Amino acid sequence: MVHLSSLLLKKYHGGYVVIRLALAGHKQANRPFYRIVAAYNKRARDNKYLEQLGTYDPLPNIYNEKLVSFNFDRIKYWIGCGAHPTKPVAKLLGLAGFFPLHPMTITEAERRRAQAELSEAAGAGAEAERQTEKPAEV
Amino acid sequence: MFHVIARRSAPVTRLLLAPRGAVLVESVRGRKSRGDPVAKSKEGRIKVPPPVDPKEMVVLKERFTEYQLILRALRLEFKEEVLRKKFEEETGSLAEERARQDAEEHRTLMLWNQEENLRLLKARVLRIQKEEEEAQRTKMEAVMKLELQQDEFIKQKEQQVLQLQEEAKNFITMENLDQRIEEALDHPKNYNFAVDREGRVVRQTVVQ
Repeated sequence: MVHLSSLLLKKYHGGYVVIRLALAGHKQANRPFYRIVAAYNKRARDNKYLEQLGTYDPLPNIYNEKLVSFNFDRIKYWIGCGAHPTKPVAKLLGLAGFFPLHPMTITEAERRRAQAELSEAAGAGAEAERQTEKPAEV
Repeated sequence: MFHVIARRSAPVTRLLLAPRGAVLVESVRGRKSRGDPVAKSKEGRIKVPPPVDPKEMVVLKERFTEYQLILRALRLEFKEEVLRKKFEEETGSLAEERARQDAEEHRTLMLWNQEENLRLLKARVLRIQKEEEEAQRTKMEAVMKLELQQDEFIKQKEQQVLQLQEEAKNFITMENLDQRIEEALDHPKNYNFAVDREGRVVRQTVVQ
């Protein structure tokens, strides 16, 4: 019989550990659920990982919340051992307060606010136009 | 219909963890190969990166440098914490205590083991002694039995010899022959008898 563990424990040349989101339960369509996971960089996204460090549910629940969980102790350990978090994980950690807020989160929020203000101004402008048109008609 | 296994999984795990009856179909990223022509709807398309606002970019760069600074500091902090924990584990005060306790435990266990060995040794010695005695006894018994048997045999043979000697007195020899014939003719013996079902024997018969 082949010794299975030596086949599954690969050695990577120049490989490093990442903390990233891995899709869990991918047998269900249209219902994503992510695991925050410490894995080698070269591994497939959903395949064997070193340790699970949390979860992230991207779909909001009945109270309009997206639930995230972190194992901060182990995350500290892995980052201390030299793991790199990916962009979404860094953003989530920033929102959680463990990291500083990611710059892109702030810029995205600013952009959205500017967009909302523009559309509001446009809407107010359109309403004002309609208001001026009606008395003109009448 | 069949279970399709994604190409992304490593080939070894694919071979090991493939469910039975699964077809190994290669599913590659992207539908088109290198030499396939561009689609008609995408003919004059020029891919343009998203527009960059220079003011926003300046602010972003500043924010990023700050963010990276903080992250680097955090990383070094965590590294230090990990190293300290490892150091505490290996050479902290608790580690010494633990090592001492382990050594103590080991010593007591070894002593206990030695005592157990002595006890078992004594038991074993006794057992072997008993077995030896048993063996000796059985051997002696066997020897005695053999002797008895031999004596019995000799006695039996002696008895047989004596009996033969006794019978030899009544044998018919060449000297006795005439005498015995005379005797036999003078005293005719009647061997006839009758037995009943109840077991009554009748020896009286018609005399010739």
